[in-house]
Amino acid sequence: MEGLVYIALFAPFASSLFAALFGMTERKIFVGIVASTLLATAFIASAMLAFYVHGTGNAVHVTMMDWISAGDLHIPFGFIVDQVSVTMMVVVTLVSTIVHIYSIGYMDHDKSFNRFFSYLSAFVFSMMILVMSDNFAGLFIGWEGVGVCSWLLIGFWYHKPDVSREENPSISPSWAANEAFIMNRIADLGMLIGLFILYWNIGSLQYDKVFAAVPFLDGTVLNAAALALFIGAMGKSAQFPLHTWLTDAMEGPTPVSALIHAATMVTAGVFLVIRANPLFSLTPEVSYFIAALGTFVAFFAASMALVNRDLKRIIAFSTLSQLGYMFAAAGLGAYWIALFHLAAHAFFKALLFLGAGNVMHAMHDELDIFKMGGLKKVMKWTYLYMGIASLALAGIPFFAGFFSKDAIIETAWNEGTIVLWAILVITAGMTAFYSFRQVFLTFEGDERYKKYGIHPHEMYGYVLVAMSPLAILAMVAGFGMKGFEHFVTKLLPDYHMSEHTHHIAWFLGLVVLAFAVGGIVLAYKKYYHGLKRDEQLENSWYYKLLANQYYIPVLYEEFIAKPYAMISNAMWTKVDMKIVDATVDGIAKFLYKTGDTSRKMQTGNLSNYLNWMAVGAVLLLVVAAISAAAIG
Amino acid sequence: MIGLTDYLIVSAILFSIGLMGVLRRRNLLMLFFATEVMLNAVNVAFAAISHYYNDLTGQMFAFFIIAIAASEVAVGLGILIVLYKKHGSLDLDDLASMRG
Amino acid sequence: MDNILSVLIFFPAIAGLLGFVVDKKSARAYGITVATIEFLLSLWLWFSFDTGNAGMQFVEMIPLIPDFGVNFYLGVDGISLFIILMTTLMTLIGMVSMSIEKDVKNMIITLLFLEMTMVGVFVALDAIVFYLFWELSLVPMLYIIGAWGGPLRVYAAVKFFLYTFMGSLVMLVGMLFVAYVYHSLTGVWSFAITDWYALVLPVNYQLWLFAAFFLGFAIKVPMFPFHTWLPYAHGQAPTIGSVILAAVLLKMGTYGFVRFSLPMFPDASVMMITPIAVLAIIMIIYTAMVAYAQKDMKQVIAYSSVSHMGIIMIGIFAMNAEGIGGSVFQMLSHGIVSGALFMLVGIIYDRRHTKLMSEFGGLASVMPKYAVIFGIMLMASVGLPLTIGFVGEFLVLLGFYEISPVMTVLAGTSIIIGAVYMLSVYKKSFFGPVTKEENKTLKDLTPRETWSLIPLVAIVVWLGVYPKPVLDPINKSVNAMLVFMEEKAITAEAKDIIKVPQSATTAGEVK
Repeated sequence: MEGLVYIALFAPFASSLFAALFGMTERKIFVGIVASTLLATAFIASAMLAFYVHGTGNAVHVTMMDWISAGDLHIPFGFIVDQVSVTMMVVVTLVSTIVHIYSIGYMDHDKSFNRFFSYLSAFVFSMMILVMSDNFAGLFIGWEGVGVCSWLLIGFWYHKPDVSREENPSISPSWAANEAFIMNRIADLGMLIGLFILYWNIGSLQYDKVFAAVPFLDGTVLNAAALALFIGAMGKSAQFPLHTWLTDAMEGPTPVSALIHAATMVTAGVFLVIRANPLFSLTPEVSYFIAALGTFVAFFAASMALVNRDLKRIIAFSTLSQLGYMFAAAGLGAYWIALFHLAAHAFFKALLFLGAGNVMHAMHDELDIFKMGGLKKVMKWTYLYMGIASLALAGIPFFAGFFSKDAIIETAWNEGTIVLWAILVITAGMTAFYSFRQVFLTFEGDERYKKYGIHPHEMYGYVLVAMSPLAILAMVAGFGMKGFEHFVTKLLPDYHMSEHTHHIAWFLGLVVLAFAVGGIVLAYKKYYHGLKRDEQLENSWYYKLLANQYYIPVLYEEFIAKPYAMISNAMWTKVDMKIVDATVDGIAKFLYKTGDTSRKMQTGNLSNYLNWMAVGAVLLLVVAAISAAAIG
Repeated sequence: MIGLTDYLIVSAILFSIGLMGVLRRRNLLMLFFATEVMLNAVNVAFAAISHYYNDLTGQMFAFFIIAIAASEVAVGLGILIVLYKKHGSLDLDDLASMRG
Repeated sequence: MDNILSVLIFFPAIAGLLGFVVDKKSARAYGITVATIEFLLSLWLWFSFDTGNAGMQFVEMIPLIPDFGVNFYLGVDGISLFIILMTTLMTLIGMVSMSIEKDVKNMIITLLFLEMTMVGVFVALDAIVFYLFWELSLVPMLYIIGAWGGPLRVYAAVKFFLYTFMGSLVMLVGMLFVAYVYHSLTGVWSFAITDWYALVLPVNYQLWLFAAFFLGFAIKVPMFPFHTWLPYAHGQAPTIGSVILAAVLLKMGTYGFVRFSLPMFPDASVMMITPIAVLAIIMIIYTAMVAYAQKDMKQVIAYSSVSHMGIIMIGIFAMNAEGIGGSVFQMLSHGIVSGALFMLVGIIYDRRHTKLMSEFGGLASVMPKYAVIFGIMLMASVGLPLTIGFVGEFLVLLGFYEISPVMTVLAGTSIIIGAVYMLSVYKKSFFGPVTKEENKTLKDLTPRETWSLIPLVAIVVWLGVYPKPVLDPINKSVNAMLVFMEEKAITAEAKDIIKVPQSATTAGEVK
C-alpha cells in the first residue's frame, strides 16, 4: 500500500518535471499525453487506496523522511491516507486527470502548451501534499504550494497589459495573480499563528498528537487556535472579506478555473475545517461563526451572480456561494455532509467550468453572455453537459447537488438556526435562477454572436468524451450518499437529524425544491426566448451595486492598496531620506563643520603655533597648581 | 649669601626671556636662539638644585642637555640654511605653507 | 590537517598576494581557482566536522601577546561552520559570475583579501583577533565600492566605512572593558571568548556592555535606525560588492549577537528583548514598505535585505532553540537568496545599464530562463515552503511566538508585505507586454550566468526540502548555548525566559 501512496503522490510531480523539461519549447502534444497518463496513474492509485481503506477500515500511514527539526520541534514528511484524505485524493486526481485531458484540446493553440502542463501537474502535486499530509506543517507546504501554482496559472498569460477596471474588472492576469497570492498570504499568516498556538500548547504538529491533546486544552487557547486556522481557511476558500481574488482569478485559462478555482484548491479551507474537526467541534462559538459567515457568503456571492454578464465570473460566484454552503455545514458540525457536498460540487462545478471553456473556445474567448445566445445549435453536447451541471447546482432532485445541498439546509433547520436556514433556502432559489439565466442566455434565444462575426464550433470529440465521467457523476453521485456516510463517519463524527427534523424532512425538501424550481422558471420566463434588456433595472442603484460587487474591489483599491502605496512612498521620501538618513548625515556634517571651523587655527605660522603652545603650557601649569593645591 | 632661590630666580628670568623670544620673534634664527636660552635656563636650575641636594644626577643631566642642544643646533642650523636657500628668508610669516 | 582554520584564513590572502604577479588576462581564472580550492577546503571542514559535538572544534591557539592574553585563537562550532561555507561559496560564485572588465586583477586580489577577513571573523575565538578581522573587512569593501561603484561611489563608500567603523570602535571599548573586568576578577588577562563566557557579570555591567556591543553589531546588521548606509552602499556598489555585502558582511552583525551578546550577557539580553524586538519589527515593516516604494530594482532588494535581517534579529532574541536555530539558518538562507537576487539584478544591469523597473516590463517573454530563476529566488525570498527561505522564517516566527504572540503577528506581516513588494517587482519587470524597443532584443542568460546561478537554485531547493544536515549541527550548538546561558543567568526573569529544549535537558541528564 505504501507504494501506492507514493505513486499517487509523486506521479503528478513526475508529470510536472517532465513537462518542465520542455517548458521553453514549442507545443509538443506528447507532453500533454504523458502528463495525463501520469495523472491517470495517480487516480488509479488513489482509487485503489480508497478500496483498501474502504475494505479494511484501516488508514495507511507512511513517514518518508524528516523535514525540519529544531529544538523540540520535529516535522517529518509524513502522509496519511484515511477516509477523509482518500476521498479528497480520489476527487482531486479524478478531476485533474479529466482537466489534463481537456487541456490538451483547450490549449492546443497556445504556444506555452508545455509550460501549462508543468504548472498544472505541479498544482496537483501540491494539492496531494495538502490533503495527504499527516501534520499541520505538511498541510501548510501544500497550502502554500497550491497558492504558488495558482499564482503561476492565473498569471499564465502574463504578457497581457493592465487595463482599466471598467474594461476588465480583473485588470490583467498578472494583476489578478498577485492579488490572489497576496490575499492568500494574509490568511496564511493567520494559519501560521494557528500552528504556533498548537505547537506551544501541545508540543507537536502531528494530527494524531494534536487531536489527542485538544480536549485537555484551555477554552481560550482552543478558540484562538480554531479562529486562527479558520482565518487561513478563509483565504484559500475565498470567504468574505478575502473573497475578491476568486473572481479575478478567472483571468487564468479555463481548465485552471475548473480545477483550481472550483473543484480543488478553493475547497482546501473546507478540508482544513473537516480535517481539524476534533478542534472545531470543541469550539462552538468559532464553529457558529464559521457557519454564519458561510451562510452569509453563500447569499452574498449568489446576489452578485444574479446580474453578472461574464460567463466565468457567474460560475466563480456560484463557487463562492457553494463554498459558503460547505462552511455552513462544517460550522454546524455536519462534517461529513460538508465533505460530501465538497466532492459533489467538485464534479458538477468542474463540469460547468469545462463547459464554459468549450463555449469560450468556440466564441474566441468572448465571455459576455449578452453577446451569446442560441449556441445550442452548434454545441449540443456542451449544452447538455452544462445543463446537467446546472441542474445539479440548482439542486434538482436526483442530481448530485440535490442530495448534498438539501442535507446542508436540513442541518441548518435541525440545529435550530432558523435564520441561517432561511437564508440558505433563499440562496438555493437564487442559485437556480442565475445558473439557468446563464444557460439560457448562452444556449437559447437569438444568435446574438453573429453580429460580432464569430463562428462557433463544438469542442473536439475526445474532449467531450473526457468530460463525460464528470457528467455521469454529477447525475448519479448523490445516490452514493448513504455509502459515503457510512465510509467517512468511521473517521468523522456522524451527524444525524433529530427525530423531529427527520419527520418533516419531506416538507423541508419541498420548500427548497419550490425555491429552486421557482428560480428556474423565473429564468426561463425572462431569458429563454432571448435577451430583453431592461434599461430601468440596469440603471437602478441595487443593480449597479451588485454588478460592481458591492464596490468592494474599488474600496480595497482606494482604502488599502492606494494608501499603502502612498504611505510607503512617504516612508521612503519623507521618513527614511528626510529624517533617518538626514540625522545621520547631520551628525557627519556637524563633525565636518567643527573641523572646518577649527581648521582656521592652523595658520601655518610657526610663531602662532608656539603662542598656542605656550598658552597650553600655562593652562596645564595652572591646572596642575590648582589640583596640587586642592590635594595639598 | 646667594642661595638656591636666587639661582632659580635667574633661571626663571632667563626662561621667561627665552619664552618671550619664542613668542615674539618672527625670525627663525632668533627663535632658535630663544630656545637655546630656555634650555640653558633649565640647565642653570638643574645645576643649582643638584648642588643643593648634593646629588650629581642633576649636573649630569645638564651635560646631557648641553650635548643634545649642541646636536640639535647642528641639525637645526643645517635645516635653516636649506630653508634660507630655498625661500631666501627666515621670516616665519613668509613660511606659512601649512595653512589649513 | 590540524590547522585547517588557519589555512582557510590565510590561503586566500597569500594567494591574493601572489596574485600581484599573475598576468592580467589570467587573473580571473586564477581567482576562480583559488576560490574553488578555498571552497573545497571549507567543504572538507564540513565533512570532517563532528556533528555529534556541540562545542568548538578544530581549535587552534598561538600566543600573540602573552602578557595580555591575546592569542591567535580559532575554532568552529555548528553556528559558524555553515556561515563559513556560505562565505566561501558566495565568494566563488560571485567571482564566477562577475562581469567587471575594469581592473579585474585588482578586483580578484581585493576579493581574496576580503575572503580572508570574512572567514577570519567567523572562526576567531579571541576578541582581539575577531576585532582585527572585523575592521579589516571594511577595507576591501571600501575599495570595491569606491573603485568600481556608481556615480555616488565615494559618498557611499565613505558613509559605509565611517558608519560601521564608528560602531565597532564602541564595541572595542566594550571588549577592552570585559578584558579589564576579567583581569580584575581572575588576575589574568584573557581575550578568549570562551574564557569570557565563564564570566558572570553583574546586571548593570551587562547592560552597559550589551549596549556597547549592540552599537557595533546593530550598525552592521543594519538595524533600524542605523540602516541608511546600506541602500547607498548597495546602490553604488558593483554587483559583486552587493553580493558579498548582503550575503556575508551583514551576517557578521547577527553572528556577533549570537557569539557575543547572548552567551556573555544573558540577563541583559533577556531584559532587552522587548526594545530589540520593537526595533526589529519596525525594521521589518518599515523597510518592507520603503522597499515597495522604490523605483530601482536593486534598491528593492537592498531594503528587502534590511527587512529580512529584522526577522533574523527577532529570532535571535526568541531565547529558545527554535528561534535561534531558525535565525542562524535564516542567515544562510538570506545569504544565498539575496546574493542570488543581487546577481540577477546585476545581469539585467549589464544588459540594459539601468535598474529602473519602469524601463523593463515583459522580460519574461524575452528572457524566460532569467525569469524562471528570478521567480525561484523570489519565492525563496518570500518564504515559500520547500525553499530555503521558509525553514528559517517559520522557525523564527514559531520561536518568537513563545515570547510575544502580538509581536509575532506584527513580525509575521513580513510574509504579506514581503510578497507585496517582491511580486510588484516581478510584475513590473517581468509581466505585461514588452513595451520598450531595446528590451525586445535582450539575450537570455549566458552559460556562465546560468552556471553560476544553478548551484544557488540547487541549494535553495535542497535545503528547503532537506535542511537536516545543516539544521542538526546548528541545533546542537544552539542547544548547548542555551543550556549554558540558563545556568549562567543570574536574574530569575532570565532563567525563566531562556528556554532549553527538552531534548537538550534529557541528554544532559543522561550524561
